[in-house]
Amino acid sequence: MSTGTVKRHRNVFIISFIVPTFLFFCVFTIYPVLQALYYSLFDWSGMSETKDFVGLGNFTEMFNDPIVWRAIGNDYFLVAGKVIGIMIIATFFAVALTRFKFRMAGFFRSIFFIPNVISVVVIGVLWNFIYNPQIGFLNGFLSLFTESKVDITWLGFPQHTIWMLLPPSIWAGIGFYMILMIAAIQNIPASYYEAANIEGAGQWTQFRRITVPLIWEQMKVSILNIMMTTLNGSFVIVWIMTEGGPDNTTQVMGSYLYQMAFRQYHFGFGAAIGVLILALSLITTVVLQRLMRHESVELS
Amino acid sequence: MSDGIRNPVVKVIFYALLILWSVSVLYPLLWTLLDALKDNEQFFLNAPWALPNMPLIWSNFSYVWESYSFNVYFVNSLVVTIGSTLLGLLLSATTAYVLARYQFKGSNALYLLYVSSMMVPFILALIPLFFLMNSMHLINTKLGLILVYTSSVLAFGIFVLVGFFRSLPKELEEASIMDGASYYGTFFRVMLPLSQPGLITIAIINILNVWNEFIMGTILVNDPVQYTLPVQIAVLQAEMQYRTEWGPLFAALFIIIVPVLLVYIIFQRRIASGITAGAVK
Repeated sequence: MSTGTVKRHRNVFIISFIVPTFLFFCVFTIYPVLQALYYSLFDWSGMSETKDFVGLGNFTEMFNDPIVWRAIGNDYFLVAGKVIGIMIIATFFAVALTRFKFRMAGFFRSIFFIPNVISVVVIGVLWNFIYNPQIGFLNGFLSLFTESKVDITWLGFPQHTIWMLLPPSIWAGIGFYMILMIAAIQNIPASYYEAANIEGAGQWTQFRRITVPLIWEQMKVSILNIMMTTLNGSFVIVWIMTEGGPDNTTQVMGSYLYQMAFRQYHFGFGAAIGVLILALSLITTVVLQRLMRHESVELS
Repeated sequence: MSDGIRNPVVKVIFYALLILWSVSVLYPLLWTLLDALKDNEQFFLNAPWALPNMPLIWSNFSYVWESYSFNVYFVNSLVVTIGSTLLGLLLSATTAYVLARYQFKGSNALYLLYVSSMMVPFILALIPLFFLMNSMHLINTKLGLILVYTSSVLAFGIFVLVGFFRSLPKELEEASIMDGASYYGTFFRVMLPLSQPGLITIAIINILNVWNEFIMGTILVNDPVQYTLPVQIAVLQAEMQYRTEWGPLFAALFIIIVPVLLVYIIFQRRIASGITAGAVK
């Protein structure tokens, strides 16, 4: 074969392996994202005849809507609660299952990951049952200590019902981040800990001086990941457990997007909420990265 | 070496915490099974943690399977999961191989485009995807769901597999080309079998994601015949407000949990290595 033919064969091969995937990616990922930005500029009920250009009108309307602000607040409440809850518990378990030399560490690790393979829908239904006022677990348990039967409507408080969504969210997230932390800890050279042992440093000192600084990168990734998956996906647990209620108090951005678009047919407004989610997750990523870079300088 | 925890009290407390968390994970699974064997009366009269009365109501399972058409939803979920996984593997492995081994104009930019797309919240694309599918007449079809789920695995698949192909020695391909194999033959007969561990990891993670997915399933499908399992579970739960059939609801939960649990038990290690690879972005 001449070099020209070889080159042509090579190019045909490259094109045939790159182009189909790229076309697919353009149609089902890039195009929808661009369309979302475009739709957010229209007042649109879903039928093509009635699409009115309103510029940034949806965004003005959005910022005057108290439910949007509440949804943003709830999303960040969940982000903060999950970051604190998951990071503390997952890091503790990761350290316990690697550095503390417990027997059956592998067994515990396998068990702890199970909630992560179960659908959030199932988790939501199970926790609904825990919270169920008549036949639920929590009231049944509390009734053991009281004379009359407890019948608290755990998901129906006029305020703060969003707190009730935090335990299932944390419970469901521990295993995944624990696995990440375990991998990071196992990458730390054993000689560091051996040296610390010889010098008589206790577990707590070793944790603070060796483990945390050396898995800090992984912790940062985890925190960013919790933030992004929450802003993006908190919708499911909310939708299954409260549908945003009572009286929109547990609405998050995702659930409000769904409700405005697919229940009330304000597709332009819904798309604008989507753009808001994108903007907030990018801004929060930048802000968190700044904050945590500062932190890592202090530690080292 | 005096590693581990020395203080016995602390050790006991830590063990207790580990056991407590294990119980909090395992108990709901056991409890789902036990409650699937109760009738309504037992839910209202007995404590939630009470064991089911004899005889066990195994018929709850056949009841949801047939009367609630879980046989149909199960097959729907299976078709969508397998279809999107195979298509996703094919599309991501081909591109990942070329990106890992061949330099061409824009190859780095393309790689960055795929990787950075993982940063975009997919919920942004929800509304446009609905209208896109609508215009392609793919609403209420399994094909529509397969295409959307395939697109959701591409970036992650390419990211992990590029790393995987790069870690394989180049000599094998050179030898294959020397032997007169075409580029395609080299890829399909030499490289693809070698990258099996990477492919399986992507496949497992995709299977878990798609099997459990709810949002796209509920938006792109509104014809009950085409529902996937998570969507039907949500519908069933909403219906419980008017019609209380707790036993069958728990039987339904059990039906959707068991397959992923089996996949997890068989492929544990791959899942752990997969999420570790994916998170080091």
